[in-house]
Amino acid sequence: MPRIAGIDIPNEKRAIVALQYIHGIGPAIAKRIIEATGINPATRARDLTEDETKRIAIEIEQKYTVEGALRRLVTSNVQRLKDIGCYRGMRHRKGLPARGQRTKTNSRTRKGKAKTVAVKRSVKAMR
Amino acid sequence: MSRSLKKGPYVDAKLMRKVLRQKASSDSSPIKTWSRRCTVVPEFVNHTFEVHNGKTFHKVFIVEDMVGHKLGEFSPTRVFRGHTGKKVKGPA
Repeated sequence: MPRIAGIDIPNEKRAIVALQYIHGIGPAIAKRIIEATGINPATRARDLTEDETKRIAIEIEQKYTVEGALRRLVTSNVQRLKDIGCYRGMRHRKGLPARGQRTKTNSRTRKGKAKTVAVKRSVKAMR
Repeated sequence: MSRSLKKGPYVDAKLMRKVLRQKASSDSSPIKTWSRRCTVVPEFVNHTFEVHNGKTFHKVFIVEDMVGHKLGEFSPTRVFRGHTGKKVKGPA
């Protein structure tokens, strides 16, 4: 199996799909890479020649931020927001959505699994 | 939609004048402002503002990383005090 962008070993899929297993490469960038390197997108990843693999690797290295470097970039951007104490930074700190979405319902991705809160009954109802 | 680049960032003209005056006079007392919508521009760095949040003024010392944000982003308008009924379980 070919190794591209460090430790990533895309599997037995078509080249254009296999590339998307790299963090930071989605459908659009995969397509751009395939076009720029002039590789047949239908080639299975295992059938890529050494030369083709190399061309892809060079293309990615020169033009895109992927994997560890990308993760570090994202974390440092979030850290910057937290450090300057702005509204978005505060939302990141609290683990709530940072772009003005509603939080009355949904937002489960940010808030995590729903924690049921017991309904507080009124004194009258308890009698 | 974001603001047209042609116009440049929105900066409160009066506030800008105050900052420039302060720069000339080497005094560094906080500048009180209500202009939360004003963009932080490089000229503001190392100045302290007191940004109104609708009730009180929040002291904000501007560092370089804050450039490009709005003053209001640093002065929260809501205080979350927690939900009801989340008290520690006491003796029943």
